[in-house]
Amino acid sequence: MIETAEAPSSRMIEGAAPPAAPSDVTKRVRRGVGRHPRGLPGSALSLGWVALVVVVVLVPLGYLVSLSLMTQGQISAGLLFPSDPAWQNWGNAWNSAIPRGITNSLIAAFLGSLLTLALAVPGAWTIVRHRTGGSALSGLILSPWLLPPVVAIIPLLTLLRMLGLINTLPGLTLVYALMNVPVAIWLLDGFIRRIPVEIEEAARLDGAGELQLLRRVVVPVLGPALIAVGVIVVILNYNEFLFATFLTQSEGSQTVPVVLAGMLSERVQDFGRIAASSLLAIIPIFTIAVLLQRHLVEGLTTGAVK
Amino acid sequence: MSTDQRERTRIPPAAASPPQPEASPDAAPTSRRRRTERFHHRLFVTPSVLVLLVLALYPLLFIAAAALSRSSLGQPFQEFTGLQNLRAAAGDPAVQDSMLLGTSYGLGVAAVSTVLGTATAVALWRSVSSGAVLRTLLLLPMIVPPVIVGILFSFIFSPSGGLIDTLLRQFTSFSGSFAVLSDPSWAIIGVAVADVWEWTPLVVLLVFTALLGQDPEILEAAQLDGAQPVQQFLHVTLPTIAGTVAAAFLIRLILAFKVFDLVYVMTSGGPGSSTQVPAYLIWRAALQNFDVGMAAAITLVLAVVVTLVTLPIFYLTKRLRDD
Repeated sequence: MIETAEAPSSRMIEGAAPPAAPSDVTKRVRRGVGRHPRGLPGSALSLGWVALVVVVVLVPLGYLVSLSLMTQGQISAGLLFPSDPAWQNWGNAWNSAIPRGITNSLIAAFLGSLLTLALAVPGAWTIVRHRTGGSALSGLILSPWLLPPVVAIIPLLTLLRMLGLINTLPGLTLVYALMNVPVAIWLLDGFIRRIPVEIEEAARLDGAGELQLLRRVVVPVLGPALIAVGVIVVILNYNEFLFATFLTQSEGSQTVPVVLAGMLSERVQDFGRIAASSLLAIIPIFTIAVLLQRHLVEGLTTGAVK
Repeated sequence: MSTDQRERTRIPPAAASPPQPEASPDAAPTSRRRRTERFHHRLFVTPSVLVLLVLALYPLLFIAAAALSRSSLGQPFQEFTGLQNLRAAAGDPAVQDSMLLGTSYGLGVAAVSTVLGTATAVALWRSVSSGAVLRTLLLLPMIVPPVIVGILFSFIFSPSGGLIDTLLRQFTSFSGSFAVLSDPSWAIIGVAVADVWEWTPLVVLLVFTALLGQDPEILEAAQLDGAQPVQQFLHVTLPTIAGTVAAAFLIRLILAFKVFDLVYVMTSGGPGSSTQVPAYLIWRAALQNFDVGMAAAITLVLAVVVTLVTLPIFYLTKRLRDD
């Protein structure tokens, strides 16, 4: 019965699921209908399109890997795959400013993200649950995100200069921490709304104060959401270029996108070495994203569209 | 939205009125408790408000003041010049061209991303059940730092040994050189291709999730009523995802308006000024010409343009989502 019910053709389902069918069977039937509309024409077209998309996503990345193993001569000769892998590109990339840039990027990205969460969680919860600040606050909160960040760069540069934090990693970390609070609040909003109010009400009846409620109830319940939003913010920070290029001009504090952009402005460009350096820079963030991909997808889909 | 409203309105009574028996003796402590609660709420939103002050109000005031004065990078606010900067910015053909370029780039890139992304999401939904592997794969372009995406596509478009050049030479009789990024009319397309590659997966992900989340009962009802697959898609599936598609378009538009890294790495605004998008123009005015007053004035013009372009789409999105 269940097997017939899961068959895709709608006529079979009609026969298999009489109105009086037990509820769990009907549920299965329904899932079968809603999730797999394979009876639709053009499934081959869909598969073909998906395959094409996979190629379009992977070819540029594969090309970068291929480039990273070629000498300039091989590239200019129009080869697509290295005839004899030029591993020295990777050695050169490793012995450049790239590893230090990666370390700087990771520090600024992670510390910035933790600070962002610490600032954003209490605000997001209070705005969603108690509407403190009213519609003005919840409406304005995303406004800094709407305009290109270049808009805020000169005011922030001036501010950091006054604080003596220019050209330092702590200065950049602080900017990242503040910069992503609006996005974090916006992403957390969808998660907080999904917490059953009853949990909070129960804790309140048990005599928990607001601070305890936040620390002992809201934050633990939000756990996965915090990972999801945290990892999105880490990626945004790691990839950020504009602020990094102005706030970290000294060599020791440069983040990896700044180092890479610097390589591009060298007089003689070595495609192979730049490609290997780019891949080195991608590896840490890819690893984080793949390990936490479930959280990442959850954060993007729950947070961005509610 | 409506369920949230209900949830929210349910909180105050529950928090305000404790169980009946203790109600009258506890009247004073309750109001004190409410006061401390309110104090805590204010405390909790303080960081957010401070962030808004630092990231929105302070830059806004700074930019307004800079736009009304002669300001260099080292010495802002030298003397009050009134509307001189603003008039110069709004009347400058370079600024007008840049705004036009930014707007058409934003709308174009957002439209292409949304169409391709929605098509991919629907194809994915019809050909796989959960798409976990493919979803991970789709995350990759979004995770690559934009600077590296720019580098990557510069290589792909490079006339000397780039991917496209090489493929053209190997599979066609083409023998000239096709330098996408140094051609005034093709360069912006090259940047757009990189942008679409990077951010279309976000649209796919959002729309795909909306497709998985549609109510199976409605689809089933439509099937029982004898709706044809195409009708089902047009009358059941499409309306349920319309709000998400519109929201994805809006997000994509805002991201495209902000494009800077790709232009910086791929074309530096050139050739000529053919890829000088607003963010790049402001950056140049402020940090290459050190004319902060002019940069601030261009910023204000941009703010007006962005608002005018996004507001109608914002309201359209809202209406679609509330239905």
